[in-house]
Amino acid sequence: MATYKGNTHSEPAKMEQIITEFFAKSLHIILESRCAYASSRNYSGEQFLSSPSPSSSSSSSSSFRPRDKWFNLALRDCPAALENIDFWRQSNLEPMIVDVVLNQRPSNWDPLNNRGLVRNLSGKERYYYGSDSDEFGCETKSEKIVERWFLQYESKKSCGGNGGKRSNCTSSHSLYKKSILLLRSLYVTVRLLPAYKLFRDLISSAQICSYNLGHRVSSFVEPFTRREEADMQRFVFTPVETSCGRLCLSVLYRSSVSDVSSEPSTPISPQFIQEYVGSPMAEPLKRFSSGPVSQSSPSSSPFGRRHSWSYDLYRASPPSANPSPSPTYSDSHAAISKQLSNRLPPAGLPRHLHDETHDVHMKNPSYDEYWPSPAFSPSPSPSPPTYVPGSQLSKVLLRSESAPLNIPTSRLSSIPSLPNNQMMPPSPPLKATRLIVSKRDAHMGLYNTSSTVDKLFSFSRDEPGKMSNVKPSSNSSSKSYSRNSSRLSFQDDYDDGPFVVDDDDMIDPGSRPSSFDQTRHPSGPFDPDGVFPVKKSQDAAVGALVRMLKKAPPLRQDISVTSHLLNQFSEEPVKELSVASSELISSKTTADALEELRGYKVMKDELLKQGDKRCRGWTMGIGRCVLRLASAWVDVPGELVVDGAGLLTSVVGYITLRFDQWELRDVRVLYLLEREKT
Amino acid sequence: MNSEVCQLKELEVEHFEIREVLRCILHTILFHRALGLVRPKDVDLELFEITYVQCGDVELDRKIDDKIDQFIDRVEKHPNKKNQICLSFYEVKNKQATWFTNKVERLYWEQWYINLNVAQHPKGHFGKSHHSKVVVDRGDTAADERSARRAALEASLRDVLFQIIRFVNEKKDHVPPIPNLEGVSFPYEITISRFRIWDGHVQEDAPNRASNDAQLTSKALKLPRSFSSSFVMRSIICVNC
Repeated sequence: MATYKGNTHSEPAKMEQIITEFFAKSLHIILESRCAYASSRNYSGEQFLSSPSPSSSSSSSSSFRPRDKWFNLALRDCPAALENIDFWRQSNLEPMIVDVVLNQRPSNWDPLNNRGLVRNLSGKERYYYGSDSDEFGCETKSEKIVERWFLQYESKKSCGGNGGKRSNCTSSHSLYKKSILLLRSLYVTVRLLPAYKLFRDLISSAQICSYNLGHRVSSFVEPFTRREEADMQRFVFTPVETSCGRLCLSVLYRSSVSDVSSEPSTPISPQFIQEYVGSPMAEPLKRFSSGPVSQSSPSSSPFGRRHSWSYDLYRASPPSANPSPSPTYSDSHAAISKQLSNRLPPAGLPRHLHDETHDVHMKNPSYDEYWPSPAFSPSPSPSPPTYVPGSQLSKVLLRSESAPLNIPTSRLSSIPSLPNNQMMPPSPPLKATRLIVSKRDAHMGLYNTSSTVDKLFSFSRDEPGKMSNVKPSSNSSSKSYSRNSSRLSFQDDYDDGPFVVDDDDMIDPGSRPSSFDQTRHPSGPFDPDGVFPVKKSQDAAVGALVRMLKKAPPLRQDISVTSHLLNQFSEEPVKELSVASSELISSKTTADALEELRGYKVMKDELLKQGDKRCRGWTMGIGRCVLRLASAWVDVPGELVVDGAGLLTSVVGYITLRFDQWELRDVRVLYLLEREKT
Repeated sequence: MNSEVCQLKELEVEHFEIREVLRCILHTILFHRALGLVRPKDVDLELFEITYVQCGDVELDRKIDDKIDQFIDRVEKHPNKKNQICLSFYEVKNKQATWFTNKVERLYWEQWYINLNVAQHPKGHFGKSHHSKVVVDRGDTAADERSARRAALEASLRDVLFQIIRFVNEKKDHVPPIPNLEGVSFPYEITISRFRIWDGHVQEDAPNRASNDAQLTSKALKLPRSFSSSFVMRSIICVNC
């Protein structure tokens, strides 16, 4: 091992040196990718600028100190690691525990005051907590250990019992080789763990992060409480055994750090749905009658929004009438309301919404596809980035509007009104969540073809990761809401779904009856042009679909299908199916399609199974035959064509003939059976 | 020396994702096997939120990219087949001058099989007409599906990377002594399988890949390609009769 520095120490000394250097190297690797200031790395691969060619001889690597080449892993300097390793240089029998700590700013942290942050980044990490509290004196921060690395060399009692090793040299060589492998995998693992993303965001993000990463290196820590540990996962690297002991490395890490990153994923859905619920639902008819590009919302909307926002802000969240609000839902509500309370005053909100949607968009270019939420316009990171330019806002709103058209009367007429406050008291995020959820349920339950929810989701195309986070949350809450939504949707009297109750407090009471009346009209929903003149193409399609559905006869027998499928989402027995027949119609159509699909799948599986069996038999046969004759064996990769009678008529494929010392691969086998037969 | 084989979890990829996914996996494996001096280089994937590590060896990068190009060509020529790339590490044993071959013998001590299933299905077939699944990641718009699928692929790719890490950790004894070389220390070979048995099982004993050895050998022996086939078939017939 040339990089071994060529010392001539005895074997045990060599091994000890390897172990000591192992500690240093692993600390280096860990801190280099967890400690923001301690790493001088530029992630554009700048490190290569200093050395001309990676494959050139070691003489060109003069930019790296010799000690960095330990374990054949040349790394840049890491001051943090250098500072912390001295203790273990003296005694490598002590365990080394590295805690990576996430320091989160409180929610009312002022983003404009970045003095503290800058200093933090450049301060000494050893005294991290001290400096932190100086900067943010009055505010409490939340500190969380996101990773804990354990490194220890456990020495065995009986040392030197090599058990038949040929020479002492091999043990240090073997140890070195295995340490190299271990460090390679450590290097890769460190970049795959969730905290790495935090680190990257911290060092590369232009915006001010609401958190900071620090570390602690010690040889003794208080173990985690059971509850803390329950949130964490463990990854253990296989220990490297030596004759005198073993080197153990493992990490406990928090698998979900997304809640602390600058772009929280959870509240996304309530965020943009706020907007949705606020303006259009307030005055759906008025809004759309104003024309397709309804960026300039009718005047009633601001009032509606104002009511909603103020309602939200200044009212404590009441205990829900909803039997089972989902945790996500309440969390997002809490998050939103917290942020709301710290942002703009309610009076400012409507103005932002309507007049400055464009500005909002421009202010936050990175949040392209999201809804402009006025409360969040000024703040860069802590708020969830759910912004959408105004035009998209209206588009999405309108599309969501169109969704009710698919749903028969009860749902559409749910838009404006009413009363039955079975559903939650409204606060925009709450409604938003439920809105999405219930819509999704509605679609799922009723098998409508155009899903508003998905359209809404499609606006978050930019952040697929987030959306996938969102959906679980909305879906998990779907069960709780589906109960309500299905109940509501099947009740003519209510005309509502979640829209209604959501809007209950948001709409001007004055506007409500009118819209209610209009949408109650049976032909209303089915006349896209009358009610929602705006998105003609969309609505026309929807209308066509609905007409098609109407034409199909209502089938009583499908109730069972419908109920079965609905019951996947709700525990409520499906009653009151006196609902508009189009509901059943739609479910029939899609349920049928489902059945067909299932049928095809079954057929396909059957075919595969059959073919599978036959060919497998032949494959085996061919293999055995050749084996017998040529002392070789063959595997037939390829497609075997078998005729009806099951006789092998031709084979198209490539086989490998393997003999004692050589093999012929990819030998093409073709169509020779018949010739031979005759 | 015992030979270790690692079958990596199969990944369902779209055409445009092949390059990134393969680069990530191949480089990760090679980083673990380039036990000479390396200056690691972090590379972020564009399609996923994953950072992998390269050895920083330009020659290696080029070879890998060439192989990936070959693979993509192969995939295009044989669509709807499961595809496999085999990365093998071998030791070169002393030459044996037999009448069969004048090639040196390779003793493979490790083989990695990367299994990719390149999706060819049309999208959104039934997508818009049913919502039966409660499964969160199946929306009914193409974009929705795509992002869900992308997230699933990212998770699977992470799993594969952890699979590699675990394998490297668990099996260290079979790695030969490290020669005094920089960068990639062991000779390796990347081969692409042409077919697999169409019931999806891979035969491990007879790696399903084209080999330079085999081709050179058959050329050396001047065997026409049909030679073996008729030989084989004849024998089959005999036995069956």
